[in-house]
Amino acid sequence: MLGGVFHAAVLFLVAAGLQLVFGVQKILNLACGSFYALGAYAGVSAVSWALAAGAPPPIFPLVLVGAGLVLALVGPVIERLLRTIYDRDESFQLLLTFALVLMFEDVIRFVWGTAPHQLSSAYLVYGQLRVGGLVIPVYNLVVIAAGGAIAALMGFLLARTRFGRIVRATAENRGMAEAMGVDVSRVYVRVFTLGVALGTVGGALVIPATAAVNEMGIDLIVEAFAVVVIGGLGSMRGAVAGALIVGIMRAVAVATYPEVEMLAIYVVVIAVLVLRPAGLFAKAAA
Amino acid sequence: MITNRRTFIKVLAGAAAATGARLDVAPALAQAAPVRIGVLAAKAGVTAPVGESGLRGTQFAVDRINAAGGIAGRKIELVVEEESNPKDTVERFRKLALQTKADVITGGISTAVGLAVGPVSEELKALWLAWDATTQKGVEETIPKPRYAFRSVDNEAEAVMASILAARQFKGKIKTVAGINNDYSYGRDNWAAFLAIMKKFGMNVTPVVELWPKLGETNFTSHVAALQQAKPDLVFSSFWSGDAPILMKQAHAAGLTQGTKFVLTTAGGVHESMKKAFTPEGAIMGYNSLYFEAPNASPLLREFSKWHQERFKEWPNYESDHAYFTIVAYKAAVEKASKAAGGKWPTTEQTVEALEGIEVESLSGRRGYRSDHIMEASYYQGVTTHKNRHDFVTIDPVEVMSTKQIQKPSGTGLYDWINSWSV
Repeated sequence: MLGGVFHAAVLFLVAAGLQLVFGVQKILNLACGSFYALGAYAGVSAVSWALAAGAPPPIFPLVLVGAGLVLALVGPVIERLLRTIYDRDESFQLLLTFALVLMFEDVIRFVWGTAPHQLSSAYLVYGQLRVGGLVIPVYNLVVIAAGGAIAALMGFLLARTRFGRIVRATAENRGMAEAMGVDVSRVYVRVFTLGVALGTVGGALVIPATAAVNEMGIDLIVEAFAVVVIGGLGSMRGAVAGALIVGIMRAVAVATYPEVEMLAIYVVVIAVLVLRPAGLFAKAAA
Repeated sequence: MITNRRTFIKVLAGAAAATGARLDVAPALAQAAPVRIGVLAAKAGVTAPVGESGLRGTQFAVDRINAAGGIAGRKIELVVEEESNPKDTVERFRKLALQTKADVITGGISTAVGLAVGPVSEELKALWLAWDATTQKGVEETIPKPRYAFRSVDNEAEAVMASILAARQFKGKIKTVAGINNDYSYGRDNWAAFLAIMKKFGMNVTPVVELWPKLGETNFTSHVAALQQAKPDLVFSSFWSGDAPILMKQAHAAGLTQGTKFVLTTAGGVHESMKKAFTPEGAIMGYNSLYFEAPNASPLLREFSKWHQERFKEWPNYESDHAYFTIVAYKAAVEKASKAAGGKWPTTEQTVEALEGIEVESLSGRRGYRSDHIMEASYYQGVTTHKNRHDFVTIDPVEVMSTKQIQKPSGTGLYDWINSWSV
């Protein structure tokens, strides 16, 4: 169960990036998985470097978040590229962002090679927690807490700040927002960078518990799409609910009937598509 | 420049001599045109590290052979194409055979690719020496009598050896077992072979949970929780990629490595990632056909390991050996067939005949091809230890078994063969 929530926390970050970018820019960004992979690799390098430079091990999550945020600087560059297809057919978006996925895979292979990269001892720096007969690594709880905190922060940012109002206005009606004096292209750059940061921070945060492998992004894209379909495209609350549903469904399936692990998720996806085609939290306008 | 008549004539004579000489050597030059070896190597996805390892072994073999004068006097030229999905890989195989006119094509890791390339190699009469790809459907061979396709060791050989070692090591110490294997033929066949061998050895074990994560999964927290609940005495896994260290890391963090025994048939493929921090001592771990620190390592393996470490800052793994073997086996076969043909370059058919039953010195020791075109090799497995100079586990003692012991003989079914053992 907790394993499911842990997975959900990571899934949420990637799906939230996907949601944000789609909600505002109407771009279906397949490369969200690549940002996740990029964050994971950069996280390994940053923490290894920080530990070698004599940083105390317990601060490594901060290093990871820092690495994720620094990496988000690729956001503006990629956004510049995406600008060429804002007004074009969706198939162009899919083609371009899928091309980015392949290119990032090559970049990763070029920089970090093909062997798995990992932090071997960081995972247990915070020790383990015994609950009943189960042993839970405390770091899993750190990731879950971080996922929750980021979700809350995103909610606050979008609902309560000036930036959030502008973003929502742009998402609602781009032309109107522009007429009201909103510099839409600047909003797009910021939103996209924020979307990238969600992915890179997600990838960086999960890395102590796993290993960075070339194809890790591609797998997650598929699951992130399941989250988005369940939650409703473009909805933040949908991303939280979708990630929890997918994460927990998988954990329950693995615990009870492992054969249907992947099937279970897509049964939910199909059920949602049939019963509530716009997703659980879709806006009426969408 | 040419200042007088005498010098001019000298130059002219020199030029004529040179031309003459060139005319003389022309047939020899044609003879010494390079041998083209096509290589199919995976470059993306889960199999990318395996493809890279195969390319390294290939490069090492080719550099050595070229430095020593090539194959029967012809230098080797490599033409590398990517192995990806079966359909595209078949197209690239055709291109290598028909357009590049490669004399031989090596490579291929995935069995799905092997199943597709095998028949095409037969159809085109193009010699194909696979690294790791088999033409097995499950544990059954689909091309029992191939002419041009030479396949790898059977997929389940590592599980057979690991299961024999597990039976020896843990007899009377385990009652319940759990399997966590990738959800495809390789994972399922390895698990089935393990259970069959447990039964054959009278281990009386009950499988309590069978988990089938998809290939490429990077989060096993839910699977580890399921293992914790089932409380097996032994966990069997045939993971061979980045998933092996991830599973062990998450299992260790959940306290599963204390008390539970592990059998990791193929984790040697990513041996440097199996860090001591989370991989326990006392687990059975397989390195397939190359163990970089084999106690009986030949000078050749030592040289390769050193070359590999200096170049790539890593210790080599088994795919290098499969790839190295295919190149030196081809060289030996061509030279043998050429000798039989009175020094002429042999036809593909003559090379095929020479390859059947051939035995050569490879990185992992002497190994060869059976007459049904399946590889023979020595397999290295053992019990994990932390007592070494690395930050990852190695094995001690190292067990070596020939595929003559751990691979079903030509024409027999796996389970019939296991049942025929006298134990």
